[in-house]
Amino acid sequence: MSKASWLSQYITRHVLFALIIGSCGGILFILFLIEFDQYTGTEAFCTSCHSMSFAAEDYRQSAHFNSVSGVRASCGDCHVSEGIFAATLDHVMGVSDLWKQIFGPDYDDPVITALHLPEAAFAAREWFLRKDSATCRRCHEQEAIHGSRLHTNAIHVEDAKNKSCIECHYNLVHRKVPDQKTFKRDAWNRMIEEEFGLEAGAAERLMGGE
Amino acid sequence: MESRLGFTCLWGWAFLLLFLSAPVVAEKVKLDPSNWGHSGGDECVSCHKKASAGVVTEWQQSAHAEAGVNCMDCHQAKSEEIDAFEHEGQIIATIVSPTDCGRCHDREFSEHKGSVHSEAVALGNADRSVLGDNLAGPALTTSGCDQCHGSVVKVKGDGTLDPATWPNSGIGRINPDGSKGSCSACHGRHRFSKAQARQPIACARCHASPKSPDQAVFDSSKHGMAYQAHIGDMNLDSDSWSAGKDYSAAPTCVTCHMGAAGKVAATHDVGMRSAWGLYGPVSERQHLVMFEDGDKREWPVSADAPKRGAEMQKLDGNPGTVKFVATPDRRRQVMSAVCRECHSKSFANGFMDQFDQLVELFNTKFGAPSQAIMQSLYQQGLLTPAPFDEPIEFIYWDLWHEHGAAARHGAAMASPDHSAFAGMYAVARSFYGEFLPQVRAVAGVGAVDLIQQHVLSQPAHNWLGQPDQASAVLGSLPDATGERRDE
Repeated sequence: MSKASWLSQYITRHVLFALIIGSCGGILFILFLIEFDQYTGTEAFCTSCHSMSFAAEDYRQSAHFNSVSGVRASCGDCHVSEGIFAATLDHVMGVSDLWKQIFGPDYDDPVITALHLPEAAFAAREWFLRKDSATCRRCHEQEAIHGSRLHTNAIHVEDAKNKSCIECHYNLVHRKVPDQKTFKRDAWNRMIEEEFGLEAGAAERLMGGE
Repeated sequence: MESRLGFTCLWGWAFLLLFLSAPVVAEKVKLDPSNWGHSGGDECVSCHKKASAGVVTEWQQSAHAEAGVNCMDCHQAKSEEIDAFEHEGQIIATIVSPTDCGRCHDREFSEHKGSVHSEAVALGNADRSVLGDNLAGPALTTSGCDQCHGSVVKVKGDGTLDPATWPNSGIGRINPDGSKGSCSACHGRHRFSKAQARQPIACARCHASPKSPDQAVFDSSKHGMAYQAHIGDMNLDSDSWSAGKDYSAAPTCVTCHMGAAGKVAATHDVGMRSAWGLYGPVSERQHLVMFEDGDKREWPVSADAPKRGAEMQKLDGNPGTVKFVATPDRRRQVMSAVCRECHSKSFANGFMDQFDQLVELFNTKFGAPSQAIMQSLYQQGLLTPAPFDEPIEFIYWDLWHEHGAAARHGAAMASPDHSAFAGMYAVARSFYGEFLPQVRAVAGVGAVDLIQQHVLSQPAHNWLGQPDQASAVLGSLPDATGERRDE
């Protein structure tokens, strides 16, 4: 039996069509994922949930939005991993956030978002640390950080040699939240109450009523 | 009454003994060195040598560095502390409070604790609300009042220090850990130099205003003159710094108010040796009331001296139990004992007598009369109760607060110029030239009786009734031929 006839026995016209359609479908799906990951990492997409606009307010005041060189990192550049599979996985994991947005506390209320912010910050820092600050390193080369002061490079090359960016550079973009080890829920709640002009104890009531 | 006096006397002697029996050499740290030398210290230094070299260089020149006390030994904190934060893997706090310093420097800590200096926030509250908040605004209370008296440091819910209350190194600062004071008020960080703290400028950061013109007064005194001339002979870096023994060129603020001299021990309770309260509209000699818990407060002699065991309100507003009372005479004895290291007994006593006489002069001739007149104007409803909403209130304030303070401090520290021209002359100018005319403007015909009762009835003001006594002091003899017209 010739090779061609062996092939033609299995790859019938129908199989060929299926392969072509499947391949095209696969390519389109990959392209879709690329586009999807890209689009769902933009500021416009993220802030389409009102609750995320609070995070964006601080971001827009930060150097990652306003850099002298005009380089601008948007939400996904920092919060979504590089590579299509990792990026897609991050978005799949992110569905839990969407779930909470729809079925959880009313994050569109700035008070609720502010009260829950610390836990979000801790989770984000944990993610950065687990990834060894990989998204930071997309743009920043540790050895090449010179800064505007005399010894900034030496600090990064010598003192921070085996450290991950996030170990030092937290509270860089969004509202300042203490490290988990020193975080005091009571003090945080009182601060938020004072900030929004709420009576004492309102924070606990709002958080308890989830 | 007699038994109470006897008791006060007994405790007064105990107080004196407390001064005289303690060691004359600066207290050495008794804590075992295993308590310092934190393992994280090297890492701090490595990075901060680059990030903030000044701090590290200063520390490197300190006795702390020499002894192996590093950044972490002072700045380490426990996670549960309200101002604790994570920094490069360590839990630290920015503020090193007296409690932190007191871990090693326990004697200095306990001497400062409860002192009048440590209660500077409570003592400044009345002035703060009027001079700070009313006349100026919150920005001034932050950058002015609180920088000397101390802020009530507020830690925000995100762990940061509220910039309205920090940076601050006021001597009575109320810290996040509840302790009162700031050692760096006098001991500039991070070198903590003995020599720096012993120089008058350590005090002059705050004791330079009209309220407390000590810097200028000292500078223009014989003591200040000798200090400037012989600063190189002051042995300022010496471990032991006892007047007359380790140095003799000149005294500084520290020498008289807190330094070791002869059998008098050094103390970090700076107000302890002051017999007079020189700040009020009328000066009073003051008892020093000591409470069971170590807190102290001044108590004027015109009020009944509290008994041992009595309940009494402390400066922070809490009740306290009186442990003992040091009379002004005892306090004066200790101060005079310092003088005796350089001066004879009669010289020291004569000086103190001159000082007392000038304070009494200010009190009786100007302080008490102006105070009585002001009280009367308020009682008659001729002035509103609110301070500084009428011109006479500024005049009265300047009279005792600015000019009166200069005069009394001048006498206390032997600065003739402050006793005279910045002091009593300015008091007199203010009294005769501004205050009395304002009294007449405010009280109208009623002023005649007021002034007669409180001023003209005193022989010291008799010169006002002798309008024909001409003098060339104004530059030339007046042509006294005209008829004087009475009011």
